[in-house]
Amino acid sequence: MTEEPYRWLEAIGNRREYVREQLKGGSPVFAASLQEGILLLGVGTGHSKVFELFDRHALAGLGHPADIEKIRQAAIDAAHLEAFNRAPESVSLRRLVGFGLSPQLKTNFEQIFTAPFLVELLLTEVGGEPGQDLITRLHFDGAFQLHTKGIVVAASQPDSELAAQTWLNQMLAAKAGPGETVEVLLQAWWCLTEGKPFDGGLPSEAERRDGWRKAVNGRTVEVGRLVRKADRRARYQELSLGQLVL
Amino acid sequence: MGGDRRATAGNVIVTDRVDKVIELDATSLLAIAGVPATAFEMARVLETSFEYYRRSQLQTLSLPAKVRALARLLRENLPMTMQGVGVVMPLFAGVDQTVSPPQPQIYFYDPLGAQFHAVGYAASGSGSGTIRSILSFQDRYGQPRPTEMNLQQAVQFALRLLMIASEFDSATGGVNPQADTFATIKVLRGSGVEAILAGRQAELLKS
Repeated sequence: MTEEPYRWLEAIGNRREYVREQLKGGSPVFAASLQEGILLLGVGTGHSKVFELFDRHALAGLGHPADIEKIRQAAIDAAHLEAFNRAPESVSLRRLVGFGLSPQLKTNFEQIFTAPFLVELLLTEVGGEPGQDLITRLHFDGAFQLHTKGIVVAASQPDSELAAQTWLNQMLAAKAGPGETVEVLLQAWWCLTEGKPFDGGLPSEAERRDGWRKAVNGRTVEVGRLVRKADRRARYQELSLGQLVL
Repeated sequence: MGGDRRATAGNVIVTDRVDKVIELDATSLLAIAGVPATAFEMARVLETSFEYYRRSQLQTLSLPAKVRALARLLRENLPMTMQGVGVVMPLFAGVDQTVSPPQPQIYFYDPLGAQFHAVGYAASGSGSGTIRSILSFQDRYGQPRPTEMNLQQAVQFALRLLMIASEFDSATGGVNPQADTFATIKVLRGSGVEAILAGRQAELLKS
């Protein structure tokens, strides 16, 4: 009996290792808070990675498509229920993640006899002003961090994710336009998927530009945008690379 | 799609600032006539369910499904209708995406939920008798016919229709461009909805 807690700790450790192993090779996703709204980007191979959740909310994720789909449906259900029972303006990302998705993911992760969720997610809420944007980085174990500005990355490996995020926030000023932002995000995507370092050994800009263009062949680049100002309540728009002149 | 701004309770004018043309989603409009409490709730149900379907299923609800969704709500409202306290007679406009290019379509309903496809035009509400007569006349003898009008002509025509209807029906009102009060007018095209706000209505009326 006395060894049971240690077994549980070991099981949780194994589970974390298993999830990270399963997520290896997952295609990273990005969210950027810009002047005109929030931009989300993902590169997929058949399965979508960027989704609209509600009027001012969107999601981008990597992992098992079935698990992303479960989380997406849960978020959409919760947001629409809240909007119908109260008001669309009452739907908030803090509550959606803090009281809805995060506890569910944590509970699932700690139930060691059930299959864990294989996901790493970004959830976003566009605000009336750039400083009111919210980007949530939600992990497979329910842990999450809130960001109100800049660029946030979700990748399968924490170290490279942090390195990419730091580099991107240095590269892109807050006033960068969508086209410029997408170009740099795709460079970061290429570096992450190819295992290139973001410190001294970072490939040159020409290599990075050439690299992502070759790498996206046969894949789908998904770009979603939550516009800050619009006539309609639903702020989500899908953009093509052609529209961004890339 | 245009609507007046008046809500009444018996012979009392409750307000002249109601928006009776509601954008349910990017390609659907609902014009409400009847009891506002029930009609606005129907609009809220439809708005939420259309958007929920689009976001969760990653495709828009088909036009026949949208038309039936409203018919179902009207049928479910039958007890209130029969009691005489909840009758709603809406108009619905949606875009048929199965044809190329996508075409806007108009539907009208009876209070029990029967749906009818309108060819050219439809009117509903207490002032609709007057409006239908003028529309019918214009459609048969007018130059241009309603279906041939450009935006400016259509907005002018809609405002005049509502003003004429208000002369014969006390429950139609709140539209008087000379007093700077305008109708709710929204244009549904194959590509989506455009709201013609008061300022634009004034411009179109002058030009």
